[in-house]
Amino acid sequence: MAFYNKLFSALGLGDWCGTSDDNAPLSLADLAAQAGGEKASGPFFPIPSFDNLHESCNRIWQSRDVTNGIEEGFLAAKPVLKIVLDPITQPLSWMLDSALWLFEVMPWFIMVPLLVAISWYASRSRPVTIFVAVAIMLLALVDHYDVAMQTLSIIFVCTTISVLFGVPIGIAMSKSDRLQKSVVPLLDLLQTLPTFVYLIPLIFLFSVTESKLYGIAIILYAIVPVIRLTDLGIRLVDRDVIEAANAFGMNGRQKLLRVQLPLALPNIMAGINQTIMMSLAMVVIASLVSAPGLGVNVLRGIRNLELGVGIVAGIGIVLLAVILDRVSKAALARVDKTQVKH
Amino acid sequence: MFKISTGIGCVFAAAITVSVAQANECGEVSIMQGDWGSAQIVTAVSKFLMEEGYGCEVTTVPLSSNPALASVSETGEPDILTEIWTNGAPAYEGLVESGAIIPVTEVLSDGGVEGFFVPNYLVEKHPELATLEGITANPELVGNRFHNCPEGWTCLNVSTNLLKAGGLIDAGIDNFVHGSGETLAASIASAYENKEPWFGFYWGPTSVLGKYPMTLVEMGEHKPDVWACNSTAECETPAMSGFPRSLVVTVLAKEFMAENQAISSLMTNLSFTNSQMSKTLAWVEDNDASYDEGAVHFLTTYKDMWGAWLNDAARDKLSALLK
Repeated sequence: MAFYNKLFSALGLGDWCGTSDDNAPLSLADLAAQAGGEKASGPFFPIPSFDNLHESCNRIWQSRDVTNGIEEGFLAAKPVLKIVLDPITQPLSWMLDSALWLFEVMPWFIMVPLLVAISWYASRSRPVTIFVAVAIMLLALVDHYDVAMQTLSIIFVCTTISVLFGVPIGIAMSKSDRLQKSVVPLLDLLQTLPTFVYLIPLIFLFSVTESKLYGIAIILYAIVPVIRLTDLGIRLVDRDVIEAANAFGMNGRQKLLRVQLPLALPNIMAGINQTIMMSLAMVVIASLVSAPGLGVNVLRGIRNLELGVGIVAGIGIVLLAVILDRVSKAALARVDKTQVKH
Repeated sequence: MFKISTGIGCVFAAAITVSVAQANECGEVSIMQGDWGSAQIVTAVSKFLMEEGYGCEVTTVPLSSNPALASVSETGEPDILTEIWTNGAPAYEGLVESGAIIPVTEVLSDGGVEGFFVPNYLVEKHPELATLEGITANPELVGNRFHNCPEGWTCLNVSTNLLKAGGLIDAGIDNFVHGSGETLAASIASAYENKEPWFGFYWGPTSVLGKYPMTLVEMGEHKPDVWACNSTAECETPAMSGFPRSLVVTVLAKEFMAENQAISSLMTNLSFTNSQMSKTLAWVEDNDASYDEGAVHFLTTYKDMWGAWLNDAARDKLSALLK
């Protein structure tokens, strides 16, 4: 660190820096050098990082002070955050708990026909409906009916909320370039920030026993596709059609509801489809924060090295994904007005 | 003349090769590195001693216990598994019987402490919560909830059966199964920050217990005959019993044990008392140090301990540190 020592004394900061801290923890490299009887020599020109600068000038923080500072900041802000976030997120807890209770209380001979009826009504396609019935009975055959229903109820609630909030946000983004520029980095953050990084602090805010914890985890990850694709779909509506709508004297609301949304619907449905897929992708991580469902079986298989348990539960998740994908794609084909045959 | 100089050159080359081989006869060693505090300290200390004392080329392999046991049973790598908590590893017994792995020593010589814990501030306010009977009588004082281990850990079945046997489920305590060890640890931290009641399963020596002082709930003596039934989910007759000391062992792969005698005897001697490990972990917490720096603290503080683990050649090499 002689390099930076010279720098600080040249800048006249010797007094401000203070003497070097003899009680600082030694590193393994230093100890190894001690064993060999020589002083540890680092590179000639070390990179100007906090830790390297700290060795020459005691007043400069070490990197661990930065991470500690962030932790202290969060703990200090915790009471305020709790007051703000608790009421907003409490309905999510209620919805998840109610959905879980409902899906578990309904006997299978009511639930399965109901699901098959819903898939027929949405898709009007016989192959898809038969596939849905077969897949659910297959899961029931291997005693995975209960956990599959738990996962299905969680996905149902989280997808509904994602769409309910995502489509309006996407519409708002499509109207304002500035909003789009500021929201897109946030979407990138939500998709790439490791979930546990914000989940563990959330455990400090809410209790881990509350279902809103894994609800938030799933929603924050799954809401991104529907926002992006709604924004894209509306922006991609043909300019000529918009001009025609203006020529007819439509106001903004009429344009949105009668022209833009119907024409953007293929993209929006693709966004909803992707949201469902991403919710299912989060099932195992949600189980790491105590969500019930197929994820629990996957984790048990991993931890106990029971490969079969993990694989069967994983295939269960895939089956659910395929069911939901086919049903939503068939529903999309029905509402796709851009493909209307004359 | 050409032939003579070539001959001398060959002899020199041979001599150099032989001496280099003898200096580096340890070769390559792979050692498991668990991600929890005490395992990191053990691996860092072992790695330092092997590299500086024996001249090995050490690779650390980040793993947790169950994948490590699977790996060593199928492929024989990594060579050394540190800190296998046998209570939490269902695969361990079968592998030892098959001979694929050889346990060489209890790396935590006092064994691990496992059991039901409540925070110290709770016991100070309500001393009756220090026993299981006290908790059964006052479930609302511990928040009406028991924080249980995640699915797949052996302690899940044991704790659930003990809750049934102790009448806590009937008293209205919710058996909350955590999704992962991380959320279990985070729930302790969160309860401690907010000074809320907490009651659940944990183990030591760990950084969590070092940072957040907790009291072990008294549950009576350990009864080995009921423990086997308590460890299974389908136990019809769960019975009350205290937790045993948890065996925490260092395990070597079969082939490595046969090939590398020097390191095998080092790992057989390498062992920490609970007090040493807890003090080192507490030092790491207090000084915001990394686990590597914690290993350095151990090596500089407990010189008389680890000197005895090494063979004579290694002790000579590290004599500067043992002064």
